[in-house]
Amino acid sequence: MGFRAFIRRVSLPPPSIRGEDDLFDDEFQRKIEYLAIVSRRVFAGRMRAERRTRKTGSGIEFADHRDYVPGDDFRYLDWNVYQRFGRLLLRLFEEEEDLSIYLILDASSSMGFGRNKKIVYGKRLIAALAYIGLGNLDRVALVTTTDRVLGRMPSTRGKQRIFRVFQFLRETHADGTTDLAQALKVFVSQHKRRGLAVLVSDLYDPAGFENGINTLRFNKFEPFVLHLVDPSDASPPLRGDVRIYDCETGEEREVTVTPRVLQKYRQAYDDYLNEVQAFCTKKQVPYVQANIHVPFEEMVLRFLRRGGIVG
Amino acid sequence: MEFLGLPLTTLLSIGAGAGALVVVAYILRLKRRPVPVHFVKLWERILREKEATSLFSQLKRILSLLLQLLLLTLLIFALGDPRSAAAIIEGRNLVVLIDASASMQATDGTPTRFESARQQARDLVRGMGGSDRALIVQMDATVTPLSTMTDEIPVLESAISSTRVTESRADFPRALRFALDSLVGLSNPEVVVISDGRLGVSQDAISLPLGEVKLSYVKVGQRDINAAITQFSVRRYPLDKSRYEVMIEVSNTSKEPLELELSLYGDDTLVDLTKFRVGPGENLPRFYPNLSGASRSLEARLTLANGERDTLPVDDHAYALLPERRRARIQCVTKGNTYLEAALLLDEYLDVTLVDPASYPVLGQQYDVTIFDNVTPDVAPGSGALFYVNPDGDRSPVKVGKGSLEGVGFDTWDKKSPLLRWTTIQNVNIATARKLEPKQEDKVIGASFDGPLLVMGRRAGKPFVAMGFDVRDSDLPLRISWPLLLLNTINEFVNEDTSYISSYRTGTLWRIPVAVDVSEANLETPWGAKQTIPVLQGHAVYLGQSAGVYRMTAGPPDASVQVAFAANLSDVQESTIAPLDSLEVAGKVAGPVEGFRVGVRREFWIYLLLGVVALTTIEWITYHRRITV
Repeated sequence: MGFRAFIRRVSLPPPSIRGEDDLFDDEFQRKIEYLAIVSRRVFAGRMRAERRTRKTGSGIEFADHRDYVPGDDFRYLDWNVYQRFGRLLLRLFEEEEDLSIYLILDASSSMGFGRNKKIVYGKRLIAALAYIGLGNLDRVALVTTTDRVLGRMPSTRGKQRIFRVFQFLRETHADGTTDLAQALKVFVSQHKRRGLAVLVSDLYDPAGFENGINTLRFNKFEPFVLHLVDPSDASPPLRGDVRIYDCETGEEREVTVTPRVLQKYRQAYDDYLNEVQAFCTKKQVPYVQANIHVPFEEMVLRFLRRGGIVG
Repeated sequence: MEFLGLPLTTLLSIGAGAGALVVVAYILRLKRRPVPVHFVKLWERILREKEATSLFSQLKRILSLLLQLLLLTLLIFALGDPRSAAAIIEGRNLVVLIDASASMQATDGTPTRFESARQQARDLVRGMGGSDRALIVQMDATVTPLSTMTDEIPVLESAISSTRVTESRADFPRALRFALDSLVGLSNPEVVVISDGRLGVSQDAISLPLGEVKLSYVKVGQRDINAAITQFSVRRYPLDKSRYEVMIEVSNTSKEPLELELSLYGDDTLVDLTKFRVGPGENLPRFYPNLSGASRSLEARLTLANGERDTLPVDDHAYALLPERRRARIQCVTKGNTYLEAALLLDEYLDVTLVDPASYPVLGQQYDVTIFDNVTPDVAPGSGALFYVNPDGDRSPVKVGKGSLEGVGFDTWDKKSPLLRWTTIQNVNIATARKLEPKQEDKVIGASFDGPLLVMGRRAGKPFVAMGFDVRDSDLPLRISWPLLLLNTINEFVNEDTSYISSYRTGTLWRIPVAVDVSEANLETPWGAKQTIPVLQGHAVYLGQSAGVYRMTAGPPDASVQVAFAANLSDVQESTIAPLDSLEVAGKVAGPVEGFRVGVRREFWIYLLLGVVALTTIEWITYHRRITV
């Protein structure tokens, strides 16, 4: 075992903290059930699978006309228009379909780094959102990414599928480098059905977080960024001459850490958070900064409501 | 500038080794600790600014290395003990005589003169130059070198710590002779005497040639107020041994009169308490006659009348032991001798048994002394010591020659013999005497010009005295000498001699009589230590330097003889404690010690070097533990 591996190993939190098997215990399930009930009461009447999509199909709400082409169903020809204008036009209806929610969890090494693992918090958030979505008869799919799509849980619906969600999340571990753009390109190519894409990540992407979000935007997904933030990241416990290396890429830098340097680092960290927020605001991407020290149920209710993802 | 410390090659070796250590520590310091971080890109933002200051950081590190190397260089420099050429003193060879005599127990030092002397000696050796060497010598009744001639300060300090003060006078001439002998052929010889100047002998009596040897004197002590018991003796009366007499001499060695209180204890019970005034320099003898009782041990204690102690407590008490008193069993083998029987009646502590020669030996009886009056039989077991009056025949312990001596007297006699104590045998007329032919190891106590008349010796381990004539053939019975001679002889045999020494003087060679024929005896000192001492010619020999009560055991375990005796300082010169300001030997006045100062000593740089190493280690550890950064 090399020195770096040793350092990495000793930097891991104790097993009591690391243990993720009890992430979705009875207590957790009671909480998400509570969240689902509360969300129904608050947003009553708007939570059924009644979301209207721009996709025309077999609904009953008229949307538009288009010219008839051979092969179209004669039943949808508008004979009144043909009588009046002599043109064969086909009546189009808005298709009513349930919403597809894609919950994308960043499972790179940085999510599992340090004493307070962001991936644990992320898993809970994902599980809660999935439960609410399944309860609303939405189609919920889960995806984990690093620099590729690490794991997929195909779209599913119905509350009873929540245990499959739990199982999927239990099998997810933080390991790998982050490349959101590359991973999400694969994601969009695998999921033709567009929908809401909730990205849960710390956004520590060496290639730039913008590319990943843009990939979703450009492929007509509705991105929603849940930025996991650990305040202790702003104050790393470093002193003196050290050789720092990236926990994902292994990229090294030599630095002499002094109080002044630490102060500058805190400033750089804050700047980075502001940059993320500014980008999302500018691109009209809903953005929520999720402090992992805030209880996740409070986060679901307060922050997700403010972010517009619920209701 | 010259180096008096380590040689240059050694300095270079140490410097190379230590310098390598410093550089290695510096390189180890430069090796950075790898630490994982979440996202190194965030650090890159500030590292861009940091690079601008890295040059200063590099300079700081090099400065740190240079500073450490400079510190090391200075330490190595100190190791060499650099001195200016003008200040260099050629190495001296010193003999330090530390006075350990009784007067050094005076309590006007810190806390005593002896402790002050030891401290002075320590200061002295610590202030020695790099090339000086010294020899530590304890000076008391004997001369004890405690170290070799060395320049090792720890060795010398250890030797100083091993000195022990005694309760005897110092033999300064012997110590000085030893010091001069030790310094023969050495450069810059010097004798340093650390003392109060009360060295037991008149300084004028010391006529040793000092030659080129420098004599230095370090004075210790200040006060002179002291009173002492300078004599303490007890004896039984010769003809009434149930009673005894005590003589005590008290001396005031101060320059002012003292009110004193003298207590006399017998077996730890107060016998007498006297208060008196003693003038300056006065010796006051006091007698306690006709004391009686079962007292075995006597102790005299002296204090100032106001209850305080004087400056030298060691001479304020003295001990004496009386010989154990018991009835001596005397067997007198005689056909009848009025003079002999009458003389034996004079001592009521004699248990006399008259035995007819035909009835001798009486089996099953044990006697201390057997007197053979005009008979010379085979000596039976249990007869004890033997006193032959007019022996004859082959069984005589002293060969009896043919013929006889007619009309003789004692022309020569041993005046110091215990047999003739308090009497004289001059002008004794003897009509007829036998010709005694003693052996070479026998001792002739009295003799005429024609031959020995009174012989003392040992046969088969038993002492004997042979008198070569019948008392009735002389006018000896008409003299007081006869019963005294007889009783002295019996006392000598039973070790109940009236010449018994009630106490010995410390610092002298003691010769303690041993009743059994052994070559060594076991001695228990007043402080409980046990040691074996040799026995020579019936006397155990021991040089005692401590006052108190000693106990000696001699002989096999089943028939051992136990003897107790006391020892006292009893030395008015040693009790005269006023320190002398100067010391003069053979007309040469000892000067003060010079050239001793605590400078750049090795122990100093050792501590300094250790301190630097410790500081560097602490700094190195705290640096990497991120405590001091």
